[in-house]
Amino acid sequence: MVPAQYQPPLPLARLILPVGSEGAGDRMDLDVLFVGAGPAGLAGAIELARLVQRDNAAGGGLGDVRIGVLEKAAALGEHSLSGAVVNPRPFRELFPDLGDADFPFRAPVTKEAVYLLSAGHRFRMPTPPTMHNRGNYVASLCEVVRWLGARAEELGVNVFTGFPAAALLVDGDRVAGVRTAASGIARNGSPLPGYAAPNDIAARVTALAEGTRGMLAQAYLEWQRISSANPQIYALGVKEIWETKRPLDAVIHTLGWPVPSDAFGGSFVYPLEPNVLALGLVVGLDYRDRRLDVHTLLQRMKRHPLFRGYLEGGEMVEWGAKTIPEGGYYALPARRHGDGVVLLGDSAGLVDVPSLKGIHYAMQSGIFAARAIFQALKAGDATAVHLAAYDRMLDQSYVASDLYRTRNMRSAFKGGLVAGAFQAGLMTLTGGRFPGARIPMEADAAVPRHTGAAVDFVPDGRLTVSKVDAVFKSGNATRDTIPTHLVVGPVVPADVADFYAHLCPAGVYERVGDALGVNAPNCVDCKATDVLGPRWTPREGGSGPKYKRM
Amino acid sequence: MKIAVCVKRVPDTEARVKIGAGGKAVDEAGVKFVLNPYDEFAVEEALRRKEQAGTGEVVIVCLGPAAAQETIRTALAMGADRGVLLQADAIPADGFEVAKALAAELRPGGYDLILFGKMAVDDYNQQVGPMVAELLDLPCVTSIVHLDLTAGAGVAEREIEGGVEVVEFPLPAVLTAEKGLNEPRFPALKGIMAAKKKPLETKPVALGAGGVEVVALTTPAERTAGKIVGEGAAAVPELVRLLREEAKVI
Amino acid sequence: MSRVLAVCEQRDGVLRKVSHEVVTAARRLADALGGEVDALVLGAAAVRGTDVLGRYGADRVVTLTSAAFRRSAPEECAGTIAGRVQSGGYDTVLLAASATGKDLAPRVAAKLGVALAQDVTDATAESGVVTAVRPIYAGKVLLKVRLTARPAILAIRPSVFTPVERPRAGAAETAAVDVAAGRVVVREVKAAAAGTLDVGEASIVVSGGRGLKEPANFKLLEELAAAFGGVAAVGASRAVVDAGWRPHADQVGQTGKTVSPTLYIAVGISGAVQHLAGMRTSKVIVAINKDKDAPIFKLADYGIVGDLFEVVPKLAAEIKKVYG
Repeated sequence: MVPAQYQPPLPLARLILPVGSEGAGDRMDLDVLFVGAGPAGLAGAIELARLVQRDNAAGGGLGDVRIGVLEKAAALGEHSLSGAVVNPRPFRELFPDLGDADFPFRAPVTKEAVYLLSAGHRFRMPTPPTMHNRGNYVASLCEVVRWLGARAEELGVNVFTGFPAAALLVDGDRVAGVRTAASGIARNGSPLPGYAAPNDIAARVTALAEGTRGMLAQAYLEWQRISSANPQIYALGVKEIWETKRPLDAVIHTLGWPVPSDAFGGSFVYPLEPNVLALGLVVGLDYRDRRLDVHTLLQRMKRHPLFRGYLEGGEMVEWGAKTIPEGGYYALPARRHGDGVVLLGDSAGLVDVPSLKGIHYAMQSGIFAARAIFQALKAGDATAVHLAAYDRMLDQSYVASDLYRTRNMRSAFKGGLVAGAFQAGLMTLTGGRFPGARIPMEADAAVPRHTGAAVDFVPDGRLTVSKVDAVFKSGNATRDTIPTHLVVGPVVPADVADFYAHLCPAGVYERVGDALGVNAPNCVDCKATDVLGPRWTPREGGSGPKYKRM
Repeated sequence: MKIAVCVKRVPDTEARVKIGAGGKAVDEAGVKFVLNPYDEFAVEEALRRKEQAGTGEVVIVCLGPAAAQETIRTALAMGADRGVLLQADAIPADGFEVAKALAAELRPGGYDLILFGKMAVDDYNQQVGPMVAELLDLPCVTSIVHLDLTAGAGVAEREIEGGVEVVEFPLPAVLTAEKGLNEPRFPALKGIMAAKKKPLETKPVALGAGGVEVVALTTPAERTAGKIVGEGAAAVPELVRLLREEAKVI
Repeated sequence: MSRVLAVCEQRDGVLRKVSHEVVTAARRLADALGGEVDALVLGAAAVRGTDVLGRYGADRVVTLTSAAFRRSAPEECAGTIAGRVQSGGYDTVLLAASATGKDLAPRVAAKLGVALAQDVTDATAESGVVTAVRPIYAGKVLLKVRLTARPAILAIRPSVFTPVERPRAGAAETAAVDVAAGRVVVREVKAAAAGTLDVGEASIVVSGGRGLKEPANFKLLEELAAAFGGVAAVGASRAVVDAGWRPHADQVGQTGKTVSPTLYIAVGISGAVQHLAGMRTSKVIVAINKDKDAPIFKLADYGIVGDLFEVVPKLAAEIKKVYG
């Protein structure tokens, strides 16, 4: 079964709208719009605001530059999820007057351990060089985003929460802004009393910082026919936060069990506080067994003595899920800018899988984009000519060289754990030079799936939880009567419905008889569905999870 | 039409509530604060009344810490005209103290209508609105689900057991809003931008401790699993007996 | 000696049962403070049912009559009650935190210039000071407070202070009173649509989930609800509301309602956390499910493992016998 066969295409006609298209209520004019209040968008807004402020103070004459950040979550951080162990470099660049102690981090990483797991045992491995985290900090991305958001607002940036961007507004090939999603629509599509029409936001530059599998970023690349050497590929991470009786003082990564040998993935356990830990399992979406269920694998994984030892007697306080772009260097789009537009962070694929890092690359890309945008504003020209400076800065920076060094590591694993580990080891030893040529990859949806053994798993409600209970812990309180936001293909046979049901960690999909049932309000916007199944589009603002410390 | 709406900044009720170290207050670390949901109905109703009258002013009054400015801005983003923050770092457990502070601010305002939410979703006190009405010697109708205004008077509906009470009252009056009064509007993008420029005055207030002294906060005992009475229809008579004689609920 | 006033409620000239609870609570406090309980009833004329108040601990039962008390009149009542508290020198006043009482109590407190403990679930007295416990944060936290103002005013949550018989004299007095006309006038009372009892307000809720298999089978629950004689509402889990079997207004849990009835009967509901969050503060929970491992049994006070299609009709029949 090949998932791509059942997957509808991205509805481009809805996503790329000529300026002046009918359907908008209010219209607002900004100078620069960042779509997405994640680390990339906020770092970009902060850097741009500072550059403008400094320039105005020196008599530069730019005047009031209206900077806006659009965020689909009801409040900053509520859709942000990551491990995370953060490299503080871009924080120091953005805030040279502050010290590490002022940044929204938890503890510095001191002890680390990597284990290879089997069903009942663990084998300590030497930490691979790419995974050393000395000098980095354990952090909650939610807390990072809220902190950055406060700094942005202090600088006069307008942060609009509860407003998803639903389409790009274009003028010829130029991106002229975005249209937001409407809200207050009943399940049958008719407007409710609280109906609010979409808004058109015009901007001279639109920075797409939508995070993983960004919808408008995909639309722009497809529309402008911008390709990459390899297609972007993704992993799905399911994460939980636990308050534990037994303290943890080390950053732990594991490989092996319970991820099957024909899939790529591993787990992480990070201490936010001695008795509060973040734990998650990440599995590449090119897994072969159509019954693989990342949420269920995580639940089973928790029963392993290594994890159970910490979790027994504790309480799961949050749950969430998100995909991660894993294609690395060869999956970066040929260009990440255009007339009136730049692509930042995860939306541009700036994630290094071997070191599990993306937050600092996202922020760095925001900073570079801000500088290019600033120059474009000074020159009065927001075309690709000026915005190309963003790509140049990225390509000449540590971001590109880091990604280049590990360019083949993830792809090496497409043949399985052992072959991959061998090749990855070689790459590490040779600094990426061998094997050096690009290893071609298929898009995840093109990878054929076979049917593995059925797994019978019953959650106990304490250590292990069902998807329904998990979604509750994501803080998801989406209006039950909301129209479905997922675009399902015309034909979904029973076994594909099954595949979707296992794919989605939030229980959106169910096999009902032989048909597909869709519980759209459950969706936590992880985007796994968009990669392998029905296409994701935004719902009314504020829908989805409400992460607090993810 | 001059309308005042009294609002409160409260923790998001979906949140897990943790009791702070001293056992006398809730731990606010990492808690998200929102405009009290019942107050949203009040703000929305005020905006509709002003729109209906064609002219007027909607003033948001809030007693709270400095951070409550954000709460007032949310109401301003919905369309209210200006805000007043009566700044106090700690809100006393005694609702009468709160009522006194609010009444002092409202008294000289010349308001035709003063709206409250029925209650705050943190302390569940459900008293400040009617207490303010008493202090200002104004007629008061609580928990309204519908409102019509004419010149100098109003008609409201409130749900009571077994029906809907329709009451008439002269203006000025104090009303408290119940869920179902209206569907509050989402703040529009333009409203959010405009809110930053609307006047928001901050006045520090000193509040007495009042007549309610907090002894402790505790979490209710975990419900322990009960008993399986039996299997199938045969167990029904025993269940009914237990509900009558042991649980005493029927 | 302490003087405790128990403010009772009547409707259409008949004493409401919640008044027994108010007097019970008042008696408990009076015993701890060392004092007497006076029950106060306001009505248009003599109120039926006040003769039992002595049984629950009232030393005196005072009925004040005025035409103004025929209909709901919080303004008028508050004035009379506050006046009585002052003239009678009461140091502690109890009311019911019913819908009426929650409106009335703040007015009384403000007129007397004192604090009010609203929706109290436990009340005691230590060294002459009344201590009350009230649920806050949607019942997730219990707040214990000392009421240091005089008089101490409490509105007690209905169905918590089980009436206890501690007979006292219950001497009855009736007097007509002059009441200043209030400014709020009840123009009419519209009857609620027949048969629709709000899930959030009903004292008994019978809720159904996917175990009912088809929307038509909810009829079984409607019959069970009807057996309780008009005080029970039918609720639904999110799954069946999503499937379109029941309206969203009936949903318990998640973005539906949070309910806290005296009795919650969950039929064919497995007990997903979102549903439990909506009903876990119910006083008594009964679960009927054919799966003995269903999570709901961990929360329920009483459970029956069995086929709901057999159990529910039998339960309806037995309940009908009780309610007559």
